[in-house]
Amino acid sequence: MSTSAPRKRPLRAFLSDLVRSPRRIRDAAWRVGLPTSDRARSTFVFGNVFLHLHSVRTHRWSLRWSTTWGLGLAATAAFLVVLASGVLLMFYYKPYPDVAYDSIKDIHFIVPTGRFIRNIHRWSANVMVVAVLAHMARVFYTAAYRRPREFNWLVGMALLVVTLGLSFTGYLLPWDQLAYWAITIGANIAQSPRELTDAFGITPWFDPGGLQRELLLGSDIVGEEALIRFYVLHVMILPLALGALMAVHFWRIRKDGGMTRPWDADQRLGPGHDVYPVFTEAPQKTYQLAAIVRGTSPAVGRGPEHTVPSMPHLFYAELGVLMLTVFACLALSMAWDAPLKELANPAVPENPAKAPWYFLGLQELVAYSAFMGGVGIPAIVLLGLGLIPFLDREEAGTGVWFGGPGGGRLALASLGFGLGAVLAVEAFAIRFGWLREWFPDVPQLAITAVNPGTLLAAVYGAYSLWVVKRYGWARAGATALFTCFLSGFVVLTVIGTYFRGPNWTFYWSPADWPGH
Amino acid sequence: MTPTTARARSRLDPEPVPRRDFLGIASLVSFVAAMLFATIGMLRLPKAAVLGSPAKKFRVTLPDALAEGEAFVPPGRSVAVFRDREGLYAISLVCTHLGCIVKPGPSGFDCPCHGSQFAADGSVVRGPAPKALPWHAVTVRGRECVVDEGAVVPAGTKVSA
Amino acid sequence: MNKNKHLLLWSSLGTLVLLAMAAVQENYLKDWRAIQASMHTEAGPTEVRLRQIVAPRLRVTDRCVTCHVGMAPGEQGATGHVLAAAHPPVVHDPAEFGCTVCHGGQGRATEKADAHGDVRFWPTPMIPTRYAHAGCGSCHTHVQVPNRTVLNLGRNLFERHDCLACHRLDGRGGTLRPGRAGGMEGPDLSNAGARGFDQGWYAKHLRRARQRDDIAWKAGFAALDAPDLELIETFLATRVGAPRLIEAKALFHTLGCRGCHKIGGAGGDEGPDLARVGQKDPGQLDFRGVRGEHTLANWFSEHLRDPARVVPGSKMPRLGLDDEEIELVTFYLLSLRRTDAPEAFWPKDRIGVTRLGRREFGADGATLYSTFCAACHGASGQGRRFPGAPPMPAIGNADFLAVAPDAFLRSTIESGRPGRRMPAFGEASGGLRRDEVDAIVAHLRREAGVSEPETPHDTPRRVTADPARGKPLYERHCAGCHGPGGEGADAPALNHPVLQAAATDDYLVETIGRGRRGTPMHGFRQPSTMHPVLAPGDIEAIVAYLRTWEKSR
Repeated sequence: MSTSAPRKRPLRAFLSDLVRSPRRIRDAAWRVGLPTSDRARSTFVFGNVFLHLHSVRTHRWSLRWSTTWGLGLAATAAFLVVLASGVLLMFYYKPYPDVAYDSIKDIHFIVPTGRFIRNIHRWSANVMVVAVLAHMARVFYTAAYRRPREFNWLVGMALLVVTLGLSFTGYLLPWDQLAYWAITIGANIAQSPRELTDAFGITPWFDPGGLQRELLLGSDIVGEEALIRFYVLHVMILPLALGALMAVHFWRIRKDGGMTRPWDADQRLGPGHDVYPVFTEAPQKTYQLAAIVRGTSPAVGRGPEHTVPSMPHLFYAELGVLMLTVFACLALSMAWDAPLKELANPAVPENPAKAPWYFLGLQELVAYSAFMGGVGIPAIVLLGLGLIPFLDREEAGTGVWFGGPGGGRLALASLGFGLGAVLAVEAFAIRFGWLREWFPDVPQLAITAVNPGTLLAAVYGAYSLWVVKRYGWARAGATALFTCFLSGFVVLTVIGTYFRGPNWTFYWSPADWPGH
Repeated sequence: MTPTTARARSRLDPEPVPRRDFLGIASLVSFVAAMLFATIGMLRLPKAAVLGSPAKKFRVTLPDALAEGEAFVPPGRSVAVFRDREGLYAISLVCTHLGCIVKPGPSGFDCPCHGSQFAADGSVVRGPAPKALPWHAVTVRGRECVVDEGAVVPAGTKVSA
Repeated sequence: MNKNKHLLLWSSLGTLVLLAMAAVQENYLKDWRAIQASMHTEAGPTEVRLRQIVAPRLRVTDRCVTCHVGMAPGEQGATGHVLAAAHPPVVHDPAEFGCTVCHGGQGRATEKADAHGDVRFWPTPMIPTRYAHAGCGSCHTHVQVPNRTVLNLGRNLFERHDCLACHRLDGRGGTLRPGRAGGMEGPDLSNAGARGFDQGWYAKHLRRARQRDDIAWKAGFAALDAPDLELIETFLATRVGAPRLIEAKALFHTLGCRGCHKIGGAGGDEGPDLARVGQKDPGQLDFRGVRGEHTLANWFSEHLRDPARVVPGSKMPRLGLDDEEIELVTFYLLSLRRTDAPEAFWPKDRIGVTRLGRREFGADGATLYSTFCAACHGASGQGRRFPGAPPMPAIGNADFLAVAPDAFLRSTIESGRPGRRMPAFGEASGGLRRDEVDAIVAHLRREAGVSEPETPHDTPRRVTADPARGKPLYERHCAGCHGPGGEGADAPALNHPVLQAAATDDYLVETIGRGRRGTPMHGFRQPSTMHPVLAPGDIEAIVAYLRTWEKSR
């Protein structure tokens, strides 16, 4: 029948098309039908814009819980929860001083489910930070940053920075005392390069600190300008950046050959009993397997018998982690309300004024030198982390927890050393004070150069070099350094969170704080 | 084309890129230049040409009974005005460490945020503050005086009433 | 594979359970829902929904009426719950002003503890009900409140002249008209001060009493003499519908707290300015020395009981107030709120005080004296001594007033004794105007019965004796109390520049000669067991020696 010929019974044909149209719409959107065969499953994955970042088949090693503990997924899931709850909050939140505080009160008291959604936003943001940090540690301890994944390690670090930036910018929005003073301190940390430029007397000509602070606040005080800037960063610029970086990060996982696994992963797994037949029907096209990526493809030279179709195996795992994360966020939100203090009062500093918990380690260092604690040490840490994959070009132990020379015992020893060093330095500084308490006239430059933060960094660095020398492996040094910094971060954060009271004085318990 | 380069090419080999594709280079360079210029223009926007904060200069009338060394903090300002035998002077109350508001006391200033302490003349006694509290310019006009938070004067500058 | 399916199954089921819990909490477990569900009107059950009063210009969004349904606009007549009760009749309609403007608390909250402000991080909790009228102080600044004595004189006159027979006042008195006429015989005067009253009321009353044949008028209204009339009018002007608050303010004006504390620019500066002390955030206060509950009211009471226990190092002495006085002063302090409502909402009295120079305290000398001086110099000027502090001079002493010229008194009040405890009360620093200072001086003289100083003061400096002869005399007879350098110890400082400038030689000579009866200062013209009589020349020599401390001359 010619398509151009007029139909004999046009109305009837029209009616029958109309009746069929729902099914046709479904078929147009969902070309494969139910994924019953392996082929259909594959099409299902690469035919879907949201799923096609996954490879069609997944190695059984990647699906073992202990391979990743689902931490990257958990971070992503937490981000999705943050995103959804954040968009909902934007319906009621008004980014203007005073009004902002009132609108948070409204969200708390009268917006239907508002309090719950705000709690979820707050808690899933925290879950996200924890998951990101844990994910990073996992990648490090399984040596998954190695070639060809160096670039993705860098992207991951960018994601960490953006995640922390999102948390930090969100902190100001409620416009309460906590927010106001945490941001005042944060903005002044941005200005702290002045500590150096002042020491050299070049601030009038070269003032990167002042410029940073001004760009951040849009004014010389934390006011309405700062609030709208933080709002724009929080709801638009940083989420977009995070989304773009996430896309690159995920794409790179795929392009770099999926999850890292040890070279003998197949032997370790043994024969798989839940492995599906490779193909249930003759391949329609051959280039599915030939879609080769650069680098060593996991499939090259090996049989596909240790892979399973991503649909449904991988997706059960992903959905499981997603729902577990959602459950955790919800449970936390049911148990604890997000904090909200008094309306911001620029005349009365919050005492103690504490930043979000994951910055309290830095705030602990800031209490000695603003520049070193707020800019110097973080820069050194980021630089060190970024260099790790380019210095560690070895291969032994890739994909195995605490793989490489020394293994778990080295990590444990480094943990002990790291904890010991940070506790010793902190205990000393808390008990005896620091340079200024002994020599009141000491120049600031000396304190900037020698303070608990730099001392700790130097001790950790020296220890790692010693480890490199002792084991003769760069990986050993990296393990030592990473473990030391991690233990330093944890201890400083715990001290900043639980043991610092008014005037940033050390207290064994908040019950000992004066006042209240 | 010299004979050395004129060797037989497979049908499948791509066309060699001409060494001097003037048009291509020109178009790319102008593209980059345009994007660069646009980026610079966009980056200029977030730095305000003038800040929307209130005037730095303000007038205050000190109470007659202000004792020597007792701080008078004009409401809404973060500066303390003092009077002693040598004259009037004003010291900033913004901690030089991380910008908290320090509390004037009998022996100097205490910062609640990280425990910096300053002597009565603003110099650092202890804590992380990198430098002394700045002194601000004061001018006397009859019974009232004008304090300029924007102008820093050397410590010890006192203006006689 | 199955592990992951279990993970998905159980985490999804868990999430479902949590969501169901949240839904129940959101839709069924809110207290206000239960409260509203238990109410009903004649037309049927009360609709269960969020209720609020919004007054954008006052920046008020008060959801108090979500629970206090009976106070919501147009919802009177509900029953079934104690919160269905309507607001007692007040001048200000809650529908227009909201609730938090007067009562404090957190208007946006819909849960009891948060709404009442009994939570951390809410700086303005509700004013306790027993001090409810302290909320008037958010906007009002009641004017011309005399001290307690003057107030009670007015009140007694009002009652003695049987005004309550016709008029209702603060819930007492008033007679219903007989027959059909209905209403009260005379208008209710409980708000007379706030509304203002006819200045010609007395003449009208008098005329009516003469014209009417009505027995009640004839027998009930008698002529008043001028001072009584003034006292009654003073009393009536304070009737603003908050009698206990006025009582508290009158007590404040009796105790002399303004001698050390400023409110609205008038007062001494020994203690902190109290203008907005009622707005203090209890969360910022130190309760370590406070017994009992951690509320602002209790902090005030405990502080008044023993200042140094609550605020270590406080210079404020223990005042020895009784419980009722502490209660009243606490009440008044709580009323010192002055919230920054837009000026369009300011009542007459506040505009009068802030813009037109009206006074919060009465203009009579007795009130002025007790408001500014009584705390230190005693209720009748007998002087006072607080533990650990030098005694305050007895300025009501007749011997003192007999030798002190008015100019000396005035300049002392206006300039004070900088560096000593006596603050300067002159208009520039203490806020007292010249006529007010004069009224205080006149009051002192009236109370002491010394209408003017007895000695002439034409020449301020006339003593020409030799200071060298005065020095040993001073050291023998005076230095014990006044200090070897005249710096003052148990007795006032004599080297003080303001004293030196204000005191005439006659004043000094006469004070030394007469002494001050009732104080440790003996007259040196009469012999005593403590000292011999000094010859007039000796006294003048001492004065000459005192004058060596006078710097600028």
